[in-house]
Amino acid sequence: MSFSRHTGQSTRRRLVTSAAVFTVAAMALVGCSSAPEDASAGATGAAADVEIVESVRSLSNSYHANWVAGGQLFADSIDKELVVITDEADSQKQLSGIKALAASGKIYALNVDPNTSSDTEAIVRAVTDAGGYVVTQWNKPDDLNPWDVGDHWVAHISFDGTVSGKEVSAKLFDAMGNEGGIIAIQGILDNTSSKQRYQGLEAALAEAPGIELLDQQTANWSRSEALTVTQTLLAKHGDAVKGIWAANDEMALGALEAVKAAGLEGQIPIIGFDAVPQALEAIQSGTSGFVATVSSDAFWQGGAALSLAYKAAIGEIKVSDLSHDERAFYGKQIIVTPDNVGDFLSTPAISDLQADFDDPFGRSQGPIN
Amino acid sequence: MSAPVLQVKNLTKSFKGVVALNDVSFEVRRHEVVGLIGENGAGKSTLLKILSGIYQPDSGEILRNGKKIVFRTVKESAAAGIGMVHQEQSLVTSVTVAENILLGAEGDAVVGGIYNWKVLNRKAQKQLDKIGSPISPTAGVEDLTFAQRQMVELAKALGVEEYTADEPVIVLDEPSSVLEGDELEVLFAQIDRLRQIASVVFVSHRLDEVLRVSDRVYILKDGVCVAERNPETADTDELHRLMVGRESSAEFYREGDQKSVVGADVLLKVDGLSRQKAFSDVSFDVRKGEVVGIAGVLGSGREELTRVLFGAEGCDSGTILLDGTSVRFSSPVGAVAAGFGYIPAERRIEGIAQSMSVQENIFLADSRPVSVGPFMMVNKARQVADEWISRLRIRTPSRNTNINNLSGGNQQKVVLAKWLNSPRLKVLILDHPTRGLDVGAKEDVYTFIRALCDQGIGIVLLADTLEETIALSHSIIVMRDGEIQRRFDAAPGQKPLPVDLVEQMV
Amino acid sequence: MTSSPPSLGASVSVSPGVRIKRMLLGGGPLVVLLLLLIFFTFASDTFANPGNISVLLTQLSILLVLGVGLTFVILLGSIDLSAEGVMASSSLVFVLLATNDRNDFQFGILAALAGVLTGSLFGLVNGILHVRLGIPSFMVTLGMGAVGIGIATVLFGGRAPQLLDQGLRSLGVDKVFGVSKLVFLAALVLVIAVLIQRYTRVGRYGYVIGGDEPIARLSGINIKKYKIYSFVLSGTGSGLAGVMAATQLGVGDPTIGLGFLFPAITAVVLGGTLLIGGRGGVLRTLVGAAIITVLANGLILIGVSIYIQTAVQGLVIVIAVVASGWSLRRRVRVIK
Repeated sequence: MSFSRHTGQSTRRRLVTSAAVFTVAAMALVGCSSAPEDASAGATGAAADVEIVESVRSLSNSYHANWVAGGQLFADSIDKELVVITDEADSQKQLSGIKALAASGKIYALNVDPNTSSDTEAIVRAVTDAGGYVVTQWNKPDDLNPWDVGDHWVAHISFDGTVSGKEVSAKLFDAMGNEGGIIAIQGILDNTSSKQRYQGLEAALAEAPGIELLDQQTANWSRSEALTVTQTLLAKHGDAVKGIWAANDEMALGALEAVKAAGLEGQIPIIGFDAVPQALEAIQSGTSGFVATVSSDAFWQGGAALSLAYKAAIGEIKVSDLSHDERAFYGKQIIVTPDNVGDFLSTPAISDLQADFDDPFGRSQGPIN
Repeated sequence: MSAPVLQVKNLTKSFKGVVALNDVSFEVRRHEVVGLIGENGAGKSTLLKILSGIYQPDSGEILRNGKKIVFRTVKESAAAGIGMVHQEQSLVTSVTVAENILLGAEGDAVVGGIYNWKVLNRKAQKQLDKIGSPISPTAGVEDLTFAQRQMVELAKALGVEEYTADEPVIVLDEPSSVLEGDELEVLFAQIDRLRQIASVVFVSHRLDEVLRVSDRVYILKDGVCVAERNPETADTDELHRLMVGRESSAEFYREGDQKSVVGADVLLKVDGLSRQKAFSDVSFDVRKGEVVGIAGVLGSGREELTRVLFGAEGCDSGTILLDGTSVRFSSPVGAVAAGFGYIPAERRIEGIAQSMSVQENIFLADSRPVSVGPFMMVNKARQVADEWISRLRIRTPSRNTNINNLSGGNQQKVVLAKWLNSPRLKVLILDHPTRGLDVGAKEDVYTFIRALCDQGIGIVLLADTLEETIALSHSIIVMRDGEIQRRFDAAPGQKPLPVDLVEQMV
Repeated sequence: MTSSPPSLGASVSVSPGVRIKRMLLGGGPLVVLLLLLIFFTFASDTFANPGNISVLLTQLSILLVLGVGLTFVILLGSIDLSAEGVMASSSLVFVLLATNDRNDFQFGILAALAGVLTGSLFGLVNGILHVRLGIPSFMVTLGMGAVGIGIATVLFGGRAPQLLDQGLRSLGVDKVFGVSKLVFLAALVLVIAVLIQRYTRVGRYGYVIGGDEPIARLSGINIKKYKIYSFVLSGTGSGLAGVMAATQLGVGDPTIGLGFLFPAITAVVLGGTLLIGGRGGVLRTLVGAAIITVLANGLILIGVSIYIQTAVQGLVIVIAVVASGWSLRRRVRVIK
């Protein structure tokens, strides 16, 4: 379990991490006899009694760091402390961290990125048992929906990679003059977003007769692995490679390094997903060959979704009144190109997101089928 | 006359109230070979550990050339010129001979942590030259035979010379227990050579050898030095009596208990058994209650033969009939199921399950006598284990003691109990069952072999010495170069002489 | 009795037959590597191209440096699982001290040295905790690996600092004689490691301690000291690997080492260094690392489906381990 309690002074916040670990651990010890009152009855709390929590994989990737920063903006907007649980991609650790939240006795609002689809059910059940309110993102089993579990699972938000995948692939093909061979680097193969994004590529390929998919490999979302794989593929296909498609920016950046080392920087267009800062800078530079990425707006994911859970926890939103379309919806994704990259390079202010905090459904692109 | 090179005076040492050494005194004079004998538990190993600086005595003193010295560490003992050749070989097999000889004492061969191999090898060569060994300092120890490794140990022990102006004292702890035939002769030659440049303490359980090489013999019994003898006038019977404290004679091998097997059913029939490069066309019978001894030097094929019988290795041709049924085993599992038992020479590696308790080891081969289905009956198992411990006089604090904490003799008894416990046992293969055991423990094993015969179990024996082979066996097969050279009948009263066997062996 | 003392001369030197047999068996990994090289050369048009050979050598270099360091610890019979965390920390320390887009430090080559020494420091702490407190090495190093990720995460601060020192960046990107500069660095590391292993106390006593620790202790060897040294060597290797990866990727990143640990351990074991210690060596690790690199590269080149690549890779590695370790199986007589 690793907790950190964010105080708002973001530059110093990580220094207090270890102290917070002890605080929460101590709470866990003391609190075991005082489980939250009336946990099963769907009680909501006064704003002062509600704790707001983000659960993400780690702070060592910029996507989740931005996510937490968005959560911090929301916390600042309502003047509360933000609790962050990181699990370093360990599902068991994520679940036990969430279970330990119950020990404080407070009602909590949780915004979580479950490690895998199969973790989601255990997480929402644990939150339901503890009387908290949770919004999940990205991963859930297809046949499990919030209304099947109850009012404590407020909503699930995901992003349709098929749509964004097709759009961003088209940007890649445009940069290639709609002609030539590409190589594709996938993420972890059985991962939903990896699959959807790749389906998007296939859809785009079907409409681009001049583009040939030369090869596809996996680099497990890793920058180092993508570097290695791209090196090998460049050696295999040589000059035939006119474009590189990567299922996330980390891998696209690894591919970019392989291209640089091969002395081809700027000559091979590259696209990725997630809009991590370095990818944005590469797009902005205009010389790297990195032509586009996709942003799901991690700040929004961290802030607006937390706001949704919080509103349910304090009773401002009555979950039972929400429609199915509102409880499982796709969020908005934006294709980032040199034209609009400037908008994404700065950290937003509270004012930029206030409208989304007030209306968490504002960016809905429709229900998840 | 000058002071003895090493003198031990009134040494006493106890462990948790048990006296291991009680007021022991002895001395070693210049260029002398002193024999030290005693049963397991007589205090030999405690004494040696004090001499090598591992233990501190409770009282008493050690004098080197008349001057009192105290060893707090192994290094201090070595610095006083006392070199040890341990019973359990103490060479690191993963490095070279030179590194072993100079381990921890490389001196100017390692300057500032950097090795100068030329110097190191030269220094090692110097030690090897002292014992006239042709082993190369650059050889890897893992490539050496057991006997060669012992030579390296000797060279290493002699390295203590470098520390002191005095001539060294070399302590050989059971050096002969793993050697056979020619190898033994090499060892004796080495001891003769050592005598020119050092003084030697020779610890052995083979009384005839002690008498042969020693100038004087000390006998330890129950932590007390009970006697000093001159080999010129003493004989093995006398030493044995002093050591064990009871009468000895042909009784030793329990020859009186040997019963005739004439007319008994054939239990095991081996016919035309061959294994490439090991042995060929071996045929013999084992009757119920019969001990068949197999004699032969290293390389005669007898070790391989027993391994094939037990299914540890395959054979190329030939048949094995057990109780009239043809059997062939692809692994020891099948052999055990059919009624074979095997007590190996390398007890530490093959015979016992290290780190398991005495009781667990006893039921390792077959737990059915104390089991119902797959479940072991705990109380029954404890009871049976205790029975074996008392029947075989296994000296162990309890049945739950880790077997590693037992002495060699007692470990061997546990291995025996393991097989005797199996109700399906029909044929037991004993591969040097008394190797490394002291006289008392050997007697226990002999008694047991006789008892097994009375139960109708057939035994194939590879014995430690020819005397043992002759005394224990009903019939003897002599193997040479993988073939049976000759068969001897060794029924009570018709025993062949060792010399008869030797003629056929070499 | 003959008049002259019998001699053991006849069997003193190892017979040529035994020597050849051992070379074949001990050289098992090398045979596997050669077979793979031959197979891929025929199965793929591009495998033996100069371009791909250059790629292979580059891909080998970081894994080799990591594996060579690890070899010293595995020779003791211990294990070092901290590599990924150490690489993370060292990459960030290095990038943040060199010219970068986060702060004004410009320590150049000293920054690289600091990155490497970060690894050495981790090794020192690993060694001290393991040896002085008697905690099993896998626990200590696993924990320190997590500490490494943690420190890296703090230094990372939400986004990866980029390495802007062009001289250092050139190490990971530019080529000399057609191969990456990293390859020459890795070769230098290998030579130094061979010298350490062959000519220093740390190297030689590693074999002794791994081979038989009680004997080493009885010989008065300061076991703790040499164990700690070995962990420092391993940490230094990880630290350098982190710096190398940073020059290659142009960033310091907490995830920079992910996916390196398991191949590195496999490389060491595949080469023929026993996990129980005492036998093996850094040159063997070269062979093991080469097998892994060739396999990963070759399977892509011959177009094995990505869905079964991992399985094929695993299968070949198991076969290679069995083929190369069969002779030792009997000698060691421990199968756990």
